[in-house]
Amino acid sequence: MAKAAEIAVAAEEPFAVAGARIVRARTQELFEHDDGVLDTVDIERVHDMRVATRRLRAVLEVFAPCFPKQAYKPALRDVKALADALGERRDPDVHLEAMRAFGGVEPLVERLRERQAAGNVALAAALEAAEASDLRGRLLALADAAEERVGA
Amino acid sequence: MKAGKVRGLDPTGPLGDNAERIVLARLDELCGFMPRAEDPAETAALHDMRIAAKRLRYILEITHPCFGPYAEAAIGPVKQLQEVLGDVHDCDEQLPEVRAFLDELVTADAAALACGAAALPHREAYEGLVALTADLLARRELRFAEFLELWRDLERKGFRPRLEYAVAERSGANGRATIGRP
Repeated sequence: MAKAAEIAVAAEEPFAVAGARIVRARTQELFEHDDGVLDTVDIERVHDMRVATRRLRAVLEVFAPCFPKQAYKPALRDVKALADALGERRDPDVHLEAMRAFGGVEPLVERLRERQAAGNVALAAALEAAEASDLRGRLLALADAAEERVGA
Repeated sequence: MKAGKVRGLDPTGPLGDNAERIVLARLDELCGFMPRAEDPAETAALHDMRIAAKRLRYILEITHPCFGPYAEAAIGPVKQLQEVLGDVHDCDEQLPEVRAFLDELVTADAAALACGAAALPHREAYEGLVALTADLLARRELRFAEFLELWRDLERKGFRPRLEYAVAERSGANGRATIGRP
C-alpha cells in the first residue's frame, strides 16, 4: 500500500496554514494514483487511490473551518463521489481475492467479475467527471483560500 | 457515520490547540462504541467503530508532531484496531452475499427439478459455497476475538488517558514535550 508522505507541522503555526500545506500534499498524492487505476489485473492501484481519497477527505474534514464554504462543500462532495466509485470497484476485488482459495465457487466468481466490470465503468465516469470539473484545481484553490484567510 | 462537529476551532489559532480539540472529540467517539461493540451481533456499531478508529488515526498521523510522544505511539494500535474491525466488516459484507447467492442457486435448482430436470444444475457449486460460508464465519469469529483482545490490551495500557495527556502536551522546537495548556 502507498504510504502517505510525512508532512512537517508545528504546534504553533496557524491551523489554516498547516491545512493548506496538507491539502496540497494529499491532493497531489491522490492524482498521482490515477494512472492505470482501471486495470483489473493490478488491483492494488485502486486500493492505493482509494486510500489516497480517504486521506484527502479526512484532511478536508479536519480543516473544514479554514475553507470558504461555497467552494468547500462541492469539492468534498466530489471527493466523496470519487471515493464511492473507487469503493464500488474495490469491493468485488476484495471478495474475489478472498475466494481464490475455494474451488467450486465459479458461479459466484463470475457474478463478482460482472460487478467488478460495472464498478470499472462507474469509476471511469467518476474520473472523467473529476477531470472535467477540475477537481484538482478546485482543491488547490481551497488551500490557497485557507492561506489567504490568515494572510500567509 | 458522520463525524461529530468539533466546536471552537479557529483557523487563525495554533494548529496544536485546534488539533487537540479534534483528537479529543475523535477519541471520545471511538471509546463511545464500547461496551456496545463487545457484542459480536452489533455489526453496525463495529462498522462505525472502525470508521471512528480511521478518523482518529488520520488526525494523529497528521498532527502527532505537535504533541507528546504517546500521540505518535498510539497510531500503531489505532491502525491495528481499524484493520481488525475492517476484516470483521469484510466478513459481515460477504456472508449475506454468499448465502443469498447459494439461496438463489437452490431456488433455481428446485425450479429446474420441478420442470423435469434429471439433476441439480448447480450441485457442484454447493460444496464450495458452503465451505466459503464456514470459512467466513470462522474468520469473523477469530477477528472479532482479536478485536476484543486488542481493545482490552489498550485499556490495560491506559490508551485513553495517555492519549489525552499526550495531546495536552506541546512538542517544543528541541523535540521535547512540554505541557502547553493548564
